[in-house]
Amino acid sequence: MSWQVITRWDAAETVRPRSVKLLLALPALVILGGAYLYPVFGSEPYTTARFAGFVSGLLSTVAALVGILLGYNSVVGKRESGAIRLSLSLPHSRRDVVWGTLASRAGLLCGTMAAALGVGLVLVVYPFGSLSVLRSLAFAALTVALGAVWVNLGLAASLLVATKRRAFVLAFGLFVVLEFAWSGLLLAVERGLSETGLVGDDPAATAAAQAAEPGAVFQRLVDGFVDPSASVGSAWYLDEWLALAVFIAWLIVPLGFAYYRFQGSDIA
Amino acid sequence: MTAIAVDSLTKEYDTVTALDRVSLDVEEGEIFGFLGPNGAGKSTLINLLLDFARPTAGSARIFGKDCQTDGVQAREHLGVVPEGYSVFDRLTGRKHVEYATRSKDADADAVELLDRVGLRDVAERTASEYSKGMKQRLVLAMALAGDPDLLLLDEPTTGLDPNGAAEMRRVLRQENERGATIFFSSHILEQVEAVCDRVGILQNGQLVAVDTIEGLRESIGGGTKLVIAPDDLTTGAVQSVRAITGVDDAQVLEGPTLEVTCANDTKMDVLLELDNAGVEVVNLRTEEASLEDMFVAYTQGGT
Repeated sequence: MSWQVITRWDAAETVRPRSVKLLLALPALVILGGAYLYPVFGSEPYTTARFAGFVSGLLSTVAALVGILLGYNSVVGKRESGAIRLSLSLPHSRRDVVWGTLASRAGLLCGTMAAALGVGLVLVVYPFGSLSVLRSLAFAALTVALGAVWVNLGLAASLLVATKRRAFVLAFGLFVVLEFAWSGLLLAVERGLSETGLVGDDPAATAAAQAAEPGAVFQRLVDGFVDPSASVGSAWYLDEWLALAVFIAWLIVPLGFAYYRFQGSDIA
Repeated sequence: MTAIAVDSLTKEYDTVTALDRVSLDVEEGEIFGFLGPNGAGKSTLINLLLDFARPTAGSARIFGKDCQTDGVQAREHLGVVPEGYSVFDRLTGRKHVEYATRSKDADADAVELLDRVGLRDVAERTASEYSKGMKQRLVLAMALAGDPDLLLLDEPTTGLDPNGAAEMRRVLRQENERGATIFFSSHILEQVEAVCDRVGILQNGQLVAVDTIEGLRESIGGGTKLVIAPDDLTTGAVQSVRAITGVDDAQVLEGPTLEVTCANDTKMDVLLELDNAGVEVVNLRTEEASLEDMFVAYTQGGT
């Protein structure tokens, strides 16, 4: 299992600089800060399940940012410098490199968030709250998966292009578009299309597309599966099981495509 | 078993053919020097062997394993000093070597390997602080991990001072004595001449010669150069020397000095011919044609 060697060495190298430690501290701070403030600003009853709804909005943006930043540089940086040639001169396949790097970077982010959640949930439960075990586990799983989605997107950008600069533009552009400009962009597209007269207004299609963005999907999963005080909308495209399918697609499809392209490309 | 078997390997980039139907066998246990000017396609061939790049046509095998389809197995018994690498930014020299031993599933001691290339004292320093020559030796230590059956080195003496280059050659000879096959590329002739059993010369993506150094010498005019100091020289005498079968070239230099490149057994004919022409030979020495002469003959004669 040679990808595990890559994971160990990549992780050892990645966590060295202080900037990465600070970056990793960010989602942990959001979780711990949220857990500390939740009894102050939230409303009764204080449960770990409702805490999920309290913290999920900010956490999804921060996890996205950190995931993208951890991922975009991971392979292309070594490809540009030439360090990847040392790895690929050894008996490692390109798949080992991709898996090993993914496990390292996603492991760092997801591990940090899982650990912070563990402490955070204690803060929520003690002294006034109550623990709902299954829902808390579901939230932890979703949070870890969200981190993985964004590391995957960053890694996909890292595999698709040959320079760090392009990978940064691609990955950070993806982050900004999906996290901040998605609704506006879709509205503009909708308006543009209806101006041409080719298609009529279709608010449902636009809303469905809006609902497919990873942050929105994560929010719906939390609302549908974890937070008992929240609920998803009644439209078909807001169904939480559909959201789960879309979430898994985000996890697999972009990285799968990028990996396929990377396999066939010349790296030197 | 054949260590490296390359069959009609071709690599085309958008506008250039970097490698043009190259076929080559390197036998187990030999030291093979891969020679050619910069840009001839040496690194392209090595990149294809390492599966850094995919061939346009043809195939390459290392110990019978296809470099493209069974790349991992092909690299299992390989030690590599690639071209254009960089070290991992934030890891120590020792961590680098440990990475190699772990990856190869070898139980070699990292510090011992670093000692072999003279880096024991700096084992705990971050490798990005190393000088170019130290990095090159570090990567050699990584290549030596796990006692590879084949060492593949792309311009291994780049960045090394003369002592370092000699040290590198010493390590390569040791490895060869242990039984390892060695394949290295270079554009520096003396290095190839000093250690290689066989040489391949690459020019504009094509393999123009593969032979032993002796064989190459023979194929270029028998490899003997006569340097003659005559008392006096006439154009007629030079022309009649040129006309002898077995003489490739006769050049008049200052002095006057006559340089005759010829087959070994023609030396006497040359002297007799000069005697016939009334030229007295004051001094005479013979030189073996150097690899440099051969190299120039091959790489310029072809264009």
